[in-house]
Amino acid sequence: MATTINIDPLTRIEGHLSIRTDIDSGKVVKAYTSGDMFRGFEVILAGRDPLDAQQIVQRICGMCPVAHGVASILAQDALYGCAVPDNGRLVRNLILGAEFIHSHITHFYHLSAIDFVDIKAITKYTGNDPVLQDLRSWVETELASNRVLPGAPFLPRYEGNYAQDPELNIAAIRHYLDALEMRKLAHRMAVLFCGKLPHAASLVPGGITEGVTMRQIAAFSSMLSDLRRFIDRVYIPDVLAVAAAFPDYFAIGRGCGNFLAYGVFPESADGKTLFIPSGVLKADKPAALDVSLITEDVTSSRFSSPSGLHPSKGQTQADPQKKDAYSWMKAPRYDGAPMEVGPLARVLIAYKAGHAQICKLVDDMLAKTKVKPEALMSVMGRHAARAIECKAVADRCAAWLDQLKEDQSACVDYTVPESGAGVGLTEAPRGALGHWISIADHKIERYQCVVPTTWNCSPRDAQGQAGPVEQALEGVAVADQNQPIEVARVVRSFDPCGACAVH
Amino acid sequence: MLAGMLGLGPTAVSRLADAAEAIAAGAAPVLWLQGLSCSGCTISLLNSDSPGPAEIITKYLSLGFHSTLSAATGKVATDAIQSMIAKAKGDYILVMEGAIPADMPLACNIGGQDIGQLFQTAAAGAKTVMAVGTCAVYGGVPAAEQNPTGAVSVAKYMTDQEIDVPLVAIPGCPAHPDWVVGTLAHLLKFGMPKLDMKHRPVAFYSKSIHELCLRCHDYDNDIFAAKFGDDGCLHKLGCVGPTTYADCTLRQWNSGTNVCTRCGGGCIGCTTESFARRRDIAMFKKPAPQTQPAAKG
Repeated sequence: MATTINIDPLTRIEGHLSIRTDIDSGKVVKAYTSGDMFRGFEVILAGRDPLDAQQIVQRICGMCPVAHGVASILAQDALYGCAVPDNGRLVRNLILGAEFIHSHITHFYHLSAIDFVDIKAITKYTGNDPVLQDLRSWVETELASNRVLPGAPFLPRYEGNYAQDPELNIAAIRHYLDALEMRKLAHRMAVLFCGKLPHAASLVPGGITEGVTMRQIAAFSSMLSDLRRFIDRVYIPDVLAVAAAFPDYFAIGRGCGNFLAYGVFPESADGKTLFIPSGVLKADKPAALDVSLITEDVTSSRFSSPSGLHPSKGQTQADPQKKDAYSWMKAPRYDGAPMEVGPLARVLIAYKAGHAQICKLVDDMLAKTKVKPEALMSVMGRHAARAIECKAVADRCAAWLDQLKEDQSACVDYTVPESGAGVGLTEAPRGALGHWISIADHKIERYQCVVPTTWNCSPRDAQGQAGPVEQALEGVAVADQNQPIEVARVVRSFDPCGACAVH
Repeated sequence: MLAGMLGLGPTAVSRLADAAEAIAAGAAPVLWLQGLSCSGCTISLLNSDSPGPAEIITKYLSLGFHSTLSAATGKVATDAIQSMIAKAKGDYILVMEGAIPADMPLACNIGGQDIGQLFQTAAAGAKTVMAVGTCAVYGGVPAAEQNPTGAVSVAKYMTDQEIDVPLVAIPGCPAHPDWVVGTLAHLLKFGMPKLDMKHRPVAFYSKSIHELCLRCHDYDNDIFAAKFGDDGCLHKLGCVGPTTYADCTLRQWNSGTNVCTRCGGGCIGCTTESFARRRDIAMFKKPAPQTQPAAKG
């Protein structure tokens, strides 16, 4: 007899998400992911000036606004026929690259690691690091206080099988604090070229408004080297240490086994050569991406608009009380199949394509973790892929920085036509991101976003196929139904963003 | 740094330094809820300097619950929220990030409760309600014209539901971390800061973006950018710095690194009540491209 366990809210993600699981004999037999917030961006955008779009869509997500801004300006570049100058393309890569670094570091340390690391280990700290000594005193004072929630926001938590190794726990706690400064630094680095974050000011169709000066190049270079040192010497070693402490998580949370990437970071003026390539992997067979095969099913989603439309014809008509619907997320499908998107998808697709940097990093990671490539399709594989990608992107940023031409334009002018359509395909830190725009009478006629977490956390479709996260949860063993930490670990490995996914 | 932020003299510095200790001793529990939001104000808060994010989490605030940061998940999280409301009644600051979907309660759910219900309960027991970000303060993008959820600001929701608790408003999309941390520090050490008619702390919102802008000199000299990427004042590209009140151009963003007008994007008025609201008012102006004179043969 199955019992139902709700995890509502699933915290330490962006936005609002909940998970319902049916558990039988200690294992998840069925799982349902619900996007719990709807704002209606696509509805709000209709009838507006198209240039508003790149600013408004950034407000979809405070974690990855640049990715939304870039998707929008790529769609508009296509629509207006802009030939973006090299400086514009490179600076966009640098700003988005910085967002990847910020997001991946935040996800590992601040959103995920405390599911594995024992935060309480700080109370047993006996070393000489003044920062950790202060943290220990703070925790001791808290625990001895009459506070309502002593030690919050780190306590209370699910109790479970946290890491036992004091050295790992203490190092990870110290790095949680360091990583707060590192993610902030990644934002600062982007802001040299984008004005402010979250919600960048310099992204426009045609390029980037900010000029390229030696001051910014030098400052970016300095910040980047601090970040690369952290990634190489702290982030990747910590992922390896957590992987060594939890080897079973290379066999947990496999998912649907289908992967999709639009690719990101154009390396050529025509935008066709990408640093992270596009592609599809189905049953381990690589294929080229065919965007015409994308549809959005709304069978289990709270929308009354037609199901199965291509995003260029997409509609968003809310129906909060829709019978049998359990999520605000639509269910994107590729040739009818659910697809996992994100760092794991990108890394596997690049690995299959023989991408030099990625192959080296993956092989190195596999050698150190002593697992086979198939084991990457797992909770720990997603964390490993994210760290690998973070390093590859940070390293590549140095090359883009070198290609900048000081004091040359980063922006071209253009004319907005009366009507037309464009699509902007890119990657957010958490996966493939597409914006479809069409305009009529100089105004937005239709705007549709298909977002990474919409793919990953999608609900069931008309064929009854569960979404990737729902599939990844099936079969997961839960030791204590009142503390379903195993479920939370699987879901968080996808780095969900509920705000993005519904928009 | 904080004293500088608040425009306070040196004698206030030691009192501010005490603030951390007072807070650590249990004076300032904070309950942080997110409604129709993008979490951008949370991410922005983590970009704070002096105090940095670690200090904020462990010393300045006792974050009883915060959806993005709390270890607590599922029932552990809803229990934490409920125990804060029940046991710290009258003591805690309720921070609300995001708008409230007044006409479509199902558009935002936390722990099986819609955000409106949860906000009502939490606000009723709060010492102060702090609306953080333009969505919470005015409605912002979720409340833009033709929005499907009937999104409203915290102030409107409180009036409609007759919730009578002191309100302080920190608009901005996102709110600058100095504005949030500075206001919290003031609340904890000195009580409510001086507010204007819209509940905003006067210290941060009394000057226009334009008067403190690096490009103000260009405006005075009639030097205007004709297209993005040009030097000169951005007014003709749609910059609304003259009618937007906040100290961004002086303070700058992300540890003083840059600001919207400096980077050439212009001010889109993200701290204002009208931000993004009307679809017939474009954020940017697009002057017709200047035709190049034909090359001489």
